Amino acid sequence: MMQSNNESPESWLNDYGDILYRFALARVRSEATAEDLVQETLLAGFLAFDKFSGNSTVRTWLVGILKHKIIDHYRKHSREMTLLNDDESANDVLVYQFDQQGSWQVDLVEWGTPDKSMDDEQFWLAFNDCLARLPQRMAGLLLLRTVDGLATEECCALLGFESDNQLWVTLSRTRVKLRQCLETNWFSKE
Amino acid sequence: MYKCKEIIELTSKEMDTTLPWVTRMEMKLHFLMCKTCSQYAKQLQFMNKALSALEGHAHAENCQLSESAKQRIAQKMQQAKKIAK
Repeated sequence: MMQSNNESPESWLNDYGDILYRFALARVRSEATAEDLVQETLLAGFLAFDKFSGNSTVRTWLVGILKHKIIDHYRKHSREMTLLNDDESANDVLVYQFDQQGSWQVDLVEWGTPDKSMDDEQFWLAFNDCLARLPQRMAGLLLLRTVDGLATEECCALLGFESDNQLWVTLSRTRVKLRQCLETNWFSKE
Repeated sequence: MYKCKEIIELTSKEMDTTLPWVTRMEMKLHFLMCKTCSQYAKQLQFMNKALSALEGHAHAENCQLSESAKQRIAQKMQQAKKIAK
């Protein structure tokens, strides 16, 4: 029996390949690894398609499989992740924003009505660009924790943080960096 | 009393965990007095909102599967299909 065209595994690569690839690339930062993860995901989806319940869209289902593949990838490489913390200090950003007493010494640019930016394709280019400029582990952490909703302990284990506190501090620095980049690349130019 | 530098760390932490009541009260008080910190907190909230909406907007044009990767994956899927039969 023929399945409806847009939901047969043959069309997945064309329909969802790029979406899956970008999702993976934002989290693993290596084109080769992201390609491998897409391939593994599509194959796993193909082999398990009879288990697909139809309760979600195929796209959501495939993204779910990909998330597991990404977590597996992190798990395999968690040792290396701890070595990636060289450029995470964010001191460059923090130092010039605060004086020695820990008070602001810069004014933040007014972001106006940022919600309007979300309708602007150019904003998303700037946003993605800022994410891509974050150090790899920081970007991974921010996405896994904030977007994918992974538990703190799981993030610590996957990304090689030694304590919850180290994770909170790093998350905060990540947001400092991302905020600064958005201000420079988007809200100052708007 | 928290310094601004500490408040921005707490602002981030509050997004991922529940802070003690006293801490939250102190933060509220600080925000009332400090325009820059309260501005910072709002901007972080917007960033979170944007992050949640990211999946639908992750289309940088130069960020697509290469043709060679597509061919390779298509081949693998064909092989898997043959084996499955």
